[in-house]
Amino acid sequence: MESKITDGPSFAHINFYLEPGESLTTESDAMASMSAEMDMKASFNGGLISGLLKKFLGNESLFVSHFTNNTNKILHLCVTQATPGDMRKVSLDNDSICLQPGAYICSTPGVKLGLRWAGFASLIAREGLFKLVMSGKGDVWYGAYGCLLDKEVNGEYIIDTSHLVSYEPQMKLKIQLSGGIFSSFFSSEGFVNRIEGKGKIVIQSRSIDGLRGWMNPRI
Amino acid sequence: MNIELLHQPGNAAAKVTLEAGESCTSEGGAMIAMSSNMDITTTTHKKKKGSIMKSLKRMFAGESFFLNHFTANGESGEIFLTTTLVGDMMQYDLEDGENLIVQSGSFVASEESVDMDLGWEGFKTLFSGEGLFWLHLKGPGKAIINSFGSIYPVEVDGEYIVDTGHIVAFNETLNFDITKAGKNWMSSILGGEGLVCKFKGKGTVWCQSHNETSFGQSIGPKLRPR
Repeated sequence: MESKITDGPSFAHINFYLEPGESLTTESDAMASMSAEMDMKASFNGGLISGLLKKFLGNESLFVSHFTNNTNKILHLCVTQATPGDMRKVSLDNDSICLQPGAYICSTPGVKLGLRWAGFASLIAREGLFKLVMSGKGDVWYGAYGCLLDKEVNGEYIIDTSHLVSYEPQMKLKIQLSGGIFSSFFSSEGFVNRIEGKGKIVIQSRSIDGLRGWMNPRI
Repeated sequence: MNIELLHQPGNAAAKVTLEAGESCTSEGGAMIAMSSNMDITTTTHKKKKGSIMKSLKRMFAGESFFLNHFTANGESGEIFLTTTLVGDMMQYDLEDGENLIVQSGSFVASEESVDMDLGWEGFKTLFSGEGLFWLHLKGPGKAIINSFGSIYPVEVDGEYIVDTGHIVAFNETLNFDITKAGKNWMSSILGGEGLVCKFKGKGTVWCQSHNETSFGQSIGPKLRPR
């Protein structure tokens, strides 16, 4: 399967060229355009129960779409995301990666979308009660609102809530107040994520929550 | 008329230079700056043509009710045009008699020689996620078209599917039907794709990488009711 992320970092979208027999799993409503011969099937996001949990507790969609090339020629599929921003591909080789709610875009069939308990603190910080863990062998594409920033962490690091996109599974995520009670609520930072451990984290430069917070007093 | 597109694709703006006496037509509200010798006339239809019916149709099309006509008076002048949402723009040169069908919200401006009308594509457009009417631009002349996100052209020869809300413009040699994305209706609706536009024929369709509705839905539910 040939894939190319184009027009990043502002308006990243992915062009796939699926060989005969190949397939791709995408988040619901991710398709922008495709060859007319492409087969599309929707299924629960990892089964009914798991799908429901992902929807209500992990902020992901209940259904995912499977695109399959059942012809004998190469077919085109263009996949996009709701927010203007950058995208990235990660290749998994029997390892795993954690994605924050809404970051997942699509993956090849060898990748398993799993849920892991994130804790009540995560819910309070509006990051969802569960976290999405991608594991297996294959490629995963995720996206962000704004650009993607990388950071190697060894020890502790603080990230504003709703700006974290991805981190490694051995790292621990905790929620805390950004400063004291007073400064937390008056600096409009509120809660922040504190990540502990050793590994790479990815941060997005903008957040939908931030945009909402800016718009709400103005309407 | 000379068109220069600046700062593509993130924050595209068009700098239009008009020779003395030349004029161009733009969507109401698109102008952000211009030379002082520019005369503006605002009409509800194309200059010297059209009727109140046409402007009513345009209002239904999701376009502004008014069109602005800019004329460079005495010497050459320039106008800067832009759009509300972040995104790209493209210039299209129409040949004599050539038709381009443009999603009504994507029109920015056109040269005086371009004829503009609204086409009724049938009730299927109710489901297309786009406006009810589509603009038919008829050449010769230049036109400027905008998008939410970037624009990518697809050469269609046979059939091709574009999700609703992603169409910017297409050649008149193409025709589209509203259909389901998957093999059955269940999959199409559950998969979140719902209805899609299936293009048939030979020609080019210009798609936009992002979709206003999807972006709106990711903010909308969390906004405070007025």
